[in-house]
Amino acid sequence: MLQYTIRRLFSLIPVMFIVSIIVFMIIHLTPGNPAHLILGEDASEESIKQLEEQLGLDQPVVMQYVNWVKDIVTGDFGQSVYSSEPVLDIIIGRLGPTFSITIVSIIMILVISIPIAIAAVWKRNTLIDPLFISISLLGVSIPEFWFAMLLVLGFAVSIPLFPVAGYIPMADGIFQWLYHLILPSFVLAAVEIGLVARMLRDGMLESVNQDYIRTARAKGVKESIVLMKHVFSNALIPTTTVIGAMVAGLLGGTVIIETMFTIPGMGQLLVDSIYRRDYPIIQGVILFIAVVYVIVNLLVDLLYTFLDPRIRYD
Amino acid sequence: MQSIKRNKWMTAIVGILLIIGLAACSNNEANTSKTGNEEEDAGEPVVSETLKVAYASDPDTLDWSYTGASPTRDVAWHIFEMLFALDNDFAIQPMLAEGYEVNEDRTLYTIKVREGVKFHDGSVLTAEDVVASIERWGKISSVGKTTFTHIESVTATSENEVQVKLIEPYNSLLADFAAPKSALIIIPAKVAEAAGEQPLKPEHLIGTGPYAFEKWDRGQEIVVKKFADYSAREEEDWGGLTGKKTAYFNEIKFMIVKDPQVILNGLKTGLYDYGQSIPTDLNEVVASTPNVDPVTYMNGYSTITPDKSEAPFNDIKVRQALNHALDKKVIAEATYGSEEFYQLDGALFVPEQVELYSDKGSDDYLAYDKELAKKLLEESSYNGETLKVVYSSNSEEYNKIAQVAKQQLEEVGFKVELISYEWATYLEKWGDPANWDLVVIGWSTRFSPNELGMLVPNIQSSGWYESPRWSDLIVQWGEAETGEQQKEILTEMNQTVNDELPFIKIANLTTLDIKTNKIKNYENWLGQRFWNTWKAE
Repeated sequence: MLQYTIRRLFSLIPVMFIVSIIVFMIIHLTPGNPAHLILGEDASEESIKQLEEQLGLDQPVVMQYVNWVKDIVTGDFGQSVYSSEPVLDIIIGRLGPTFSITIVSIIMILVISIPIAIAAVWKRNTLIDPLFISISLLGVSIPEFWFAMLLVLGFAVSIPLFPVAGYIPMADGIFQWLYHLILPSFVLAAVEIGLVARMLRDGMLESVNQDYIRTARAKGVKESIVLMKHVFSNALIPTTTVIGAMVAGLLGGTVIIETMFTIPGMGQLLVDSIYRRDYPIIQGVILFIAVVYVIVNLLVDLLYTFLDPRIRYD
Repeated sequence: MQSIKRNKWMTAIVGILLIIGLAACSNNEANTSKTGNEEEDAGEPVVSETLKVAYASDPDTLDWSYTGASPTRDVAWHIFEMLFALDNDFAIQPMLAEGYEVNEDRTLYTIKVREGVKFHDGSVLTAEDVVASIERWGKISSVGKTTFTHIESVTATSENEVQVKLIEPYNSLLADFAAPKSALIIIPAKVAEAAGEQPLKPEHLIGTGPYAFEKWDRGQEIVVKKFADYSAREEEDWGGLTGKKTAYFNEIKFMIVKDPQVILNGLKTGLYDYGQSIPTDLNEVVASTPNVDPVTYMNGYSTITPDKSEAPFNDIKVRQALNHALDKKVIAEATYGSEEFYQLDGALFVPEQVELYSDKGSDDYLAYDKELAKKLLEESSYNGETLKVVYSSNSEEYNKIAQVAKQQLEEVGFKVELISYEWATYLEKWGDPANWDLVVIGWSTRFSPNELGMLVPNIQSSGWYESPRWSDLIVQWGEAETGEQQKEILTEMNQTVNDELPFIKIANLTTLDIKTNKIKNYENWLGQRFWNTWKAE
C-alpha cells in the first residue's frame, strides 16, 4: 500500500513535465504579450522592445522554458509580471476561497444527494422516484451562469437573504464565511447533486433485487437496515469514482462561479492572468491544478480499499 | 403503464413549478417603483467610515507617472498630487506649486513650491522632491519624455523654489506638467531614487493627496485611508484636480468587480456605494431602480483609423470615400442608444475642454453622402480588395460600430471582412500593417495635442500617419504664446485632420456610472473623485 502510494506519487513527475510543456507552448503560441498590455494603445515599438527585453520575453521560447523549469526545480515558480510578487505566494493567497467553495459544495452534494437517493430507492414504486428523476435531470441540464443569476435575483436581490457577491475569509468569522459561500457553493453543487444522486440510486437499484439482499430480507432484517447496510454500501464504489472526477470538475467550475460572485479565488486569478498574459501565474496555476487532480485521483484509489476490502494494491 | 402516466404528470408539475418560480422573479423586477434619481438638497457634510466602490478593472500599477491608463489614474489621484493641475474647466492652476514666474525670452520658469505640505510618510515637501519627481517623470512618462526634449535642466534653487531651464521657448511646459495622463506626480526624492525607472512598488506609494495608500490585494481591492495631516489649498471653486480637497471618508475601498450586473445588484442591496462603468444598455434599468442614481461623464471618443502605410488607404481619395460612406449618426445611435450617451462633434477635443476645444475646421465630419462616396471610390486606386476591419472583442461597442460600418461600406462598393481579437491579441496584431486596413478603437480624453495617440507620427496607433502639415502644427503649438494663438492652431489642427483624414471620428462618448443616492455633492470629472463628497447617514 505504502509502496503503491509512493509509486503513484512518483508518477506525478512525468505528468507534471508533460503538463508544463503543453501549458508553456500554448500560452507562448497565443498572440499578445504583457509588454503590449502594460504600455497600452499608443506605445512606440521601441519602448515595447525595451520592456520585452526587461521581462526576458525577447529570448527564444525554448530558453524561456528551460529557465523556468530550472527555477521550478529549486522551488522558485517565478514572479508576476505585473506585481513582481512570487507566484507561489499569489497562488497560496487564492487557495482559501477556492477550497472553501469546493469543500462547502462537496458537503452540500453529499448531504443532499445521499438521502435523496436512498429515499428514491426506498420509495421506488411511488411518486418520489419519477419526481427525483425529473429534478435531477433539470439540475444536470441547467447552465451554471444562468442558475447563478436566477438565484442571485431571487435570494439576494428580491428576497435579500444572502449577499449578492463577495467573500469573507474564515479567519474573519466562520458564520460570515459560510453565509457568503452558500449561494455560490449551491450553484456549483446543483449540477453535481443530480449526477451523484442518480449514480447512487442506479447502483442501489442494481443490487436491491440480488440474492443476498433477498436473503437479508428473508432473515427478517428491517428494510431500512437492508438499504443502509447492504444496498447502500455496495453503491459506494462507483459513486466514489464519480465524486473523485467531480472534485476536479468543481475546481474548473469555480472559474465561472468566482467571476459571477466576485470571489478572489484561483479561477479568477487564472482568467485575469490569461487576459493579462501574466505567463508565470498562468503556468503556476495550471501546474497546481494538475497536481491537485493527480492527488485527488490517488486518494480515490486509496479510498477504494477502505470501502471494499476485496480491493488490494499490493 | 401506470408509472409512465405518473412520470408524465410529474414532469408537468415540475415544469409548472419552474415557470411560476421564474415568473415570480421577473415580476419582482418589473414592480420596482420609479423613485430615486431626484437630486435632493446635499445637506451638511458628514464624515463616514468606509466608502465601497465597485471598480470594474484592476489597475496594472498605481504609478500614475508610468502609465496613462484610466484605472491607474482614478485610484492614484486620491493618493498623489501634481505641481500644477487642471481645474473643472480644464484650465491649468497651481496645485503643489504656489505660483510661477517666467523670464522674458520664455526659457526660464521659476516655480515656487507651497510650504509645509506633508507627504504621507510625515516628511515635508521640498524643492528637492519636486526636482527628483520631475526628472523621474522625464524618464518614464510618455508625456514627460516629450517634454524633456525641450528641457535643459531642472534645479532646486532654494528650499521652496525650482527652476526649469528650457532649450528654446516651449509654451506647453505647464500644460504637460498638469496633464492627468502619465502624470507628473510629486513623490519624496528618496522614493523617486529608490524606484528609479521601475513602476512604484506598494511601499513607494507615498504622495501628498487627501487619501494615503493602505493596501492592495491584487484582483480584490485597493484600500486608501484618509490622510490626517493633509495640507489643503483654500480655493473652493476650482474643482477638477486642484483647489480645496476634503476627505469625508475614513477609508475608501476600491473593490474589483467585473460584472456590471453584480455591481448593480450590489448597489441595490447596499453592498457597494458606487459602481463604475455600467453598459449604457442598462440605463433604463438604472433609472427604474430605487435609491440608485446614474452618474454620467465625458470619456473620449470612438474612431475608425485606416492604415495609411499601404494600399488602399494610402490614397486620400479612398479615405474620402470612407468618410462620406459612413453615416456617423446612424452608427452612434446603433452603438450608444440614447442621445445622452453620445455627442456628434468632429473636433479633436471635446467642448468641456474649454481651452482646447475649437468648433471650427471640421466641416466634413458629418458629410455622409453615399453617391459622392461611390464616385470617389470609382476615381480612386481601390481595386476591389477585401478590407480587413480589426477590433477588440472586449468592447461590445467596437463590435457594434464595426457591424454597422461594414454594412455602410458595402453599400458604396467596398468589400469588407470583420476580424475581432481579444485585447492582448489585438494589441499585437495592430503592430503589423499586413494584419489590418481599418481598426475600430476608442480613445480616452486627452489634454494636449501632443497626447493624441491617433495622430502620433508613424506608429501603429495613428495607422502610420505621416504629415508635414501636422508635425509643423505640433511645433507651432509649443511656440504659441497666447490663448488666441492656441485657438487658431487648434482650428488648423481640426482642419488638417478634416483634409487629410488620418482617422475618422465617430462620436464623443459619455460613460455611465451609478451611485447610491446617499452619496451627496458628488460630481465626476474625467473619472471618479471621492473628495468633497460625503455619504449621508
